[in-house]
Amino acid sequence: MTELRWTWLIARKDLNLEFRAGGRLLSMIAFVVLAGFLFGFALDKGQVPGRAVVASLTWLTVLFASTAGAGRIFDTEEEDGAFRHVLLTPVSRRAVFLGKTVANLALTWLITALSFIALTSFLGVRTSGSLAAHAAIFLPGTIGLSATATFFGRMSRHSNLGDSLLPVLTFPLLAPLVFFGATASARVFMALPWDEISSLVRLLWAFAIGSVAVGAVLFHHVTDE
Amino acid sequence: MTLEGRGIVCDYGPVRALAGVDLRAAGREILAIVGPNGAGKTTLLKVLSGERRPDHGEVTLNGTRVSGSDAAWRARIGLVSHRTGLYEKLTAIENLRFFAALHGLRRNGRKLTATLEAVGAGDLAGRRVETLSRGQRQRVALARSILHDPEILFLDEPFTGLDPEGAAGLEHALTARRHDGAVVVLVTHDLRRGLRLADRVVVLRRGRKVFDGEAAEDGAAEILDHFTAGAEAP
Amino acid sequence: MESTRVRTAGLLLVWAGVAAILLMHWMVVFWVPTEAAQGVVQRIFYVHVPGAWTTFLAFGIVALASAAYLWLEDERADAAAVAAAEGGLIFGAIMLISGPLWGRVAWGTYWTWEPRLTLTLLLWFTYLGYFLVRGSVADPRRGKRFAAVVAIVGSLNIPLIHVSVSWFRSLHPGPVVIKPEGPTLHPDMLTTLLVSLAGFTMVFLGLFAFRYSIELAARRQARAEDAALAGGLA
Repeated sequence: MTELRWTWLIARKDLNLEFRAGGRLLSMIAFVVLAGFLFGFALDKGQVPGRAVVASLTWLTVLFASTAGAGRIFDTEEEDGAFRHVLLTPVSRRAVFLGKTVANLALTWLITALSFIALTSFLGVRTSGSLAAHAAIFLPGTIGLSATATFFGRMSRHSNLGDSLLPVLTFPLLAPLVFFGATASARVFMALPWDEISSLVRLLWAFAIGSVAVGAVLFHHVTDE
Repeated sequence: MTLEGRGIVCDYGPVRALAGVDLRAAGREILAIVGPNGAGKTTLLKVLSGERRPDHGEVTLNGTRVSGSDAAWRARIGLVSHRTGLYEKLTAIENLRFFAALHGLRRNGRKLTATLEAVGAGDLAGRRVETLSRGQRQRVALARSILHDPEILFLDEPFTGLDPEGAAGLEHALTARRHDGAVVVLVTHDLRRGLRLADRVVVLRRGRKVFDGEAAEDGAAEILDHFTAGAEAP
Repeated sequence: MESTRVRTAGLLLVWAGVAAILLMHWMVVFWVPTEAAQGVVQRIFYVHVPGAWTTFLAFGIVALASAAYLWLEDERADAAAVAAAEGGLIFGAIMLISGPLWGRVAWGTYWTWEPRLTLTLLLWFTYLGYFLVRGSVADPRRGKRFAAVVAIVGSLNIPLIHVSVSWFRSLHPGPVVIKPEGPTLHPDMLTTLLVSLAGFTMVFLGLFAFRYSIELAARRQARAEDAALAGGLA
């Protein structure tokens, strides 16, 4: 019970700060919309049909946006050293990790929805009737993504390489996630039956649950001195 | 109540920040840890508060070993540092409410307002921290650090950047905590203030304790000697 | 001294391994029959496969030693992890260079989504991250802990990477995926491969032991120098 309450407190505080600051949110929104626009602009749609690449491009946009934002998950904590004081309260490290992952997840959903809309419209791909299937794929995918970003975002705050360290650490880990996700989404765009998608979604859930569990167990190693 | 450190050794890689420090801090007493920059004061404070596990040695409270990974221990301590540790986009009272909730204190509106008033920040409750002056922030930070009535209060260079009025308020709050029976551990490079406020003084130099005794007026000269000897070293 | 013995044993192993690898090269050039389907290029396989094997062996050691370090905070576990990770980086590079060279001739392309090739590339980058994290964190103890976490998380991810790459291949079968191993392998080829495997393993384990003892000695030395410095100043 206490764990849940702590998780909720941290998540609510983070989202509250995020909306009050506004800047980060706005820049991420601009990033995904512009990325979608550029992909649509740069692709020769006579050569490459949008339907064939839209799934991969959406997943990559979400991956890049959340990696770029991962380091900043902890920026508000470090503004004036607040995180040290959070860690000095009885709150469990597990709850801190879960809370920040939840807040990050909410933002990732926003980004995912926006990049999905931006890419399908800029590439002229129709999505009618398959939105539920897309959501069922992105749900576990974004959970895995948010947990990984939160975990390594904390690590990068202590590194003098900062955010440039994040892709090196997270991309090898996220490679299977992006592969499962992009393959599953592509199959939805190709209107394949759910039977040919469900095992990929199960793997995405395995990644999501695994990354949340491992993050919760190991997080104290990246927070405590 | 006695907080005790025994044989504390702390390394940063090959660099030995603390080389076997012993010290005691008792309830109703302010212990000042003073020393020049790089003496290991902040590291010692982090070891005492449980934030950093020492490489050797142990910290005990009334003979029981304490550890930063123990939530019950963290519930009993408070920290004021030179960084306020407040969220700028939240108001003073929202900051307090958040930290109070992390401490498991609920339905505490009156208590939080009272704590703010006690540190002379009653009128700041509804203001966002980003609009406050340094001195005002530090008062809110102090309120945050004592709202759960910690038995042990750690202060890490709390006077940095404070105006005289703010410093006076902080000093008042410290002596009030001492009066309530708390252990107060104050880390400062400001020897004069340390001597004036503290009951006992520990002087650190290059990770070693070079003086430990009453902060009585007649001993001040000796303490000063130890202090400046370290400051002159290259 | 114990570390001297470890170092000597390591050096002996390295030399034995080098001898085996020289023998392997002689066998590859003058002795082993040419594989019918692929021709001469198949001989790169005697370097490639042992390179891959040692890379995975190294990663296993890194992951186990890292887990031990997180659990026990023992410097020796960390030194073992570093020593193995350096070996893994080198042997991984051998694997990553020899694989595409072979692939260019056998498959007609430098890069193919062959499961083990892809897996090794991602593992290699995990090793890279391991060193980048270690070196870029100000507090060495924290750097070691972060690196250990990276190694553990990286090893947990191996099954998922494996599933994803084998899946990918089933979707897009490569030109001709030839598996040189298996029941069709000529006995002389098997002998050559075993000699090479033994050589690579000995070189790796020897370098590992050598590097491990040097790492420990370097840390002891740095600590002693710091202590001498502190003593001289005190």
